[in-house]
Amino acid sequence: MKGLFKSKPRTPADVVRQTRDLLIYVDLQGSSRDAKREEKMIELSKNIRELKSILYGNSESEPVAEACAQLTQEFFRDNTLRLLIICLPKLNLETRKDATQVVANLQRQLVHSRLIASDYLEANKDLLDLLVSGYENMDIALHYGAMLRECIRHQSIARYVLESENMRKFFDYIELPNFDIASDASATFKELLTRHKSTVAEFLSKNYDWFFAEFNSRLLASSNYITKRQAIKLLGDMLLDRTNSAVMIRYVSSKDNLMMLMDLLRDKSKNIQIEAFHVFKLFAANRNKPPEIVTIFVANRNKLLRFLADFKTDKEDEQFEADKEQVMKEISAL
Amino acid sequence: MDEAKRMVYPLDAKSYRLLYEIGSGVSAVVYKAVCLPLDSAVVAIKSIDLERSRANLDEVRREAKAMALLNHPNVLRAHCSFIVDSHLWVVMPFMAAGSLQSIVSSAFADGLPEQSIAPVLKEILHALSYLHGQGLIHRDIKAGNILVDSDGSIKLADFGVSASIYESPPSSSSSSSSSSCSSYPMYNLSSSSLSTFFNEMAGTPYWMAPEVIHSHVGYGIKADIWSFGITALELAHGRPPLSHLPLSKSLMMRITNRLRLEDAPDHTSSKKKFSKAFKDMVASCLSHDPSKRPSADKLLRHPFFRSCKSADYLVKNVLQAVPTVEERFKEGPVTVGLASPPNKTRRVSGWNFHEEGFELDPIYLGEECEDESTKGEEGDDDDDDQEEGKEEGEMLQALSTAAPNAASSTASVVKQVLVPNLVSLLGSLDLQRGMVMNLLARCVRCADGDEEMKVREQREQLLLQYVNSLQQTINDLNLHLQKEMKKNDHLEELLENIKMNSTSEED
Repeated sequence: MKGLFKSKPRTPADVVRQTRDLLIYVDLQGSSRDAKREEKMIELSKNIRELKSILYGNSESEPVAEACAQLTQEFFRDNTLRLLIICLPKLNLETRKDATQVVANLQRQLVHSRLIASDYLEANKDLLDLLVSGYENMDIALHYGAMLRECIRHQSIARYVLESENMRKFFDYIELPNFDIASDASATFKELLTRHKSTVAEFLSKNYDWFFAEFNSRLLASSNYITKRQAIKLLGDMLLDRTNSAVMIRYVSSKDNLMMLMDLLRDKSKNIQIEAFHVFKLFAANRNKPPEIVTIFVANRNKLLRFLADFKTDKEDEQFEADKEQVMKEISAL
Repeated sequence: MDEAKRMVYPLDAKSYRLLYEIGSGVSAVVYKAVCLPLDSAVVAIKSIDLERSRANLDEVRREAKAMALLNHPNVLRAHCSFIVDSHLWVVMPFMAAGSLQSIVSSAFADGLPEQSIAPVLKEILHALSYLHGQGLIHRDIKAGNILVDSDGSIKLADFGVSASIYESPPSSSSSSSSSSCSSYPMYNLSSSSLSTFFNEMAGTPYWMAPEVIHSHVGYGIKADIWSFGITALELAHGRPPLSHLPLSKSLMMRITNRLRLEDAPDHTSSKKKFSKAFKDMVASCLSHDPSKRPSADKLLRHPFFRSCKSADYLVKNVLQAVPTVEERFKEGPVTVGLASPPNKTRRVSGWNFHEEGFELDPIYLGEECEDESTKGEEGDDDDDDQEEGKEEGEMLQALSTAAPNAASSTASVVKQVLVPNLVSLLGSLDLQRGMVMNLLARCVRCADGDEEMKVREQREQLLLQYVNSLQQTINDLNLHLQKEMKKNDHLEELLENIKMNSTSEED
């Protein structure tokens, strides 16, 4: 009887179960380097590769919805995701990449029209802390980072990350000297602050003080060109989003913020100047400018008007010209 | 594992000393440099000017990520990358012999011998097999992106435009304004001046597969195989096929390419002998139907690569003939035959690989006949053209099989969708017939050489056959059209009846 079952092809659930068993073995065995462990590692790599080809299809076949659903269900029935994340540093580079792609795909799989990955993560939020801390380890940063970005596609998960202490760590990660990792961290940061509009608006309102203090002093005032350029772009994206209008009004009512933006307008980088203008124009367009803002505008009126008159984009940009004209009109009228 | 013994390269500019420039592009310069803390290990540093790469930093990020996560002996992997002022420095292994494109243009203007091409292509196939296995598409395979080290080892470089089939496409960035920094080649000294034109599309046009140009079909791994085939021709002839035709920007912007035709294409002058295996291998890569192009793995099993020479052979036969990278760069950027003033503009509707001549021939969709005879190979293309005719027939069948479905819902859909399609098909066939007629007329006019009489007659016969077969197709299509119209009328009648019935029922 046993022989008969052996010849049967493994179901997707079988592959998940076997992967899980191997992960448990690898997790317990530490990092000893005996032959048996090596063998198990090879087997584990093969299983993860197979999970990937079930989920993504391969050169011969397209993925089958039913098989994907089975795999997903089995994967989240038990702690396979946790094991996989924990064991990732022990895997070789190719298997790490496969594992990352498997985790990414699972976030989008529907089982009985539910994203069960989201349910699992909600019950295991500490995994997100683990993924965020991956930015501190060069070897796994890009893998954990890619997984994290997929996980925050779920709104409730993004909310958790935004409201956790993790959010403060991003200000360090964005400035890491290693460009691959720093730029991955800033991609995640941007995703957190733009993807789920209502959640972002809520987060920014509740955390306005510390968040923008950090944002201004750490990112906009950074000596790192790319940090500054990405931050000013992100600031524009956030403030110009309708759902964040309350936050925008608050931001453009602050004298310190205006001074900061005027500094950025004079940055030696043209790209930064232009992005800064898109935020600066909001200060001028504000219908209810606080007196201290008006005072600054009036005191610097001539300088600003002269600067704006010469301020041009490389390519012709009608919208930019129209905005500029409007801003100049506002400033002259004060 | 490779990671364990990987050296840690420092992440600050002070740790490196730049020696000299070895390449430059629109928004980047490549230097030869030494890493001081690592016993002055030699490296190449690509310095990308981020201020000049406009809106899209995402692409820079993707390239850095791709390069950080790839691990294959034939794929150039970055040691590290970091920001220096407004530049991104990418520290890479130094490939002493530079790019194959610069090797070829400095010492093998008429192309490399076949024995030297095979080992290079084989290494590139290993790289492609690895990339494709990762779900990555390189999208810019060409000699300028193939780097050679002094020991003859080969690495594929420049992942600026690579795409992952596993990664969700970037939300909206790609179409708007992609950065120019990605399309410059690593050590390529010549085509960099073109890069500004290529912002809108990935890849470099001469090497680009038809379905990448016709981007609505979508990219596939097989697009790399096409470019690989073009690269083979580039190495064999010393330049990519059709590069004597200047590129215009509209080539990039539009689905139908526009090329300007130069006076003296000098197309068939270099009569070189290539083996059957080589021609066959390249022909398979340049199949119009992407699904017919073999995979990188399958190509590796092709007879052409069976008795391939080693890296040593390259060192002795190729590398010794060329000056060093820095000398080559000092000589100043070389330009490929480009940018001569436009003469006449004709539409190229596609490429046909001409296996006999080992060349890629454009198919012209022209209405006027030109005075100077272009070249005589057009007549040989009729196999392909007939195939196209067949394809159109198949398309028609597909349309007519789709018709019943459409009809079951509403008859008017049939009329709106199908009929215009058929009419335009008919129109295109007419155009083709006109084209063949033109050709025929031209053949009659320009041929007076006695020895070529026979060939010409044969060709004429073939053309006549082709015209007949086209006429036949047109007749068939007419019949089809009439049938469809009848069916349509019938369906409309039915519909009327149903309407009447339902109204009477309501009454």
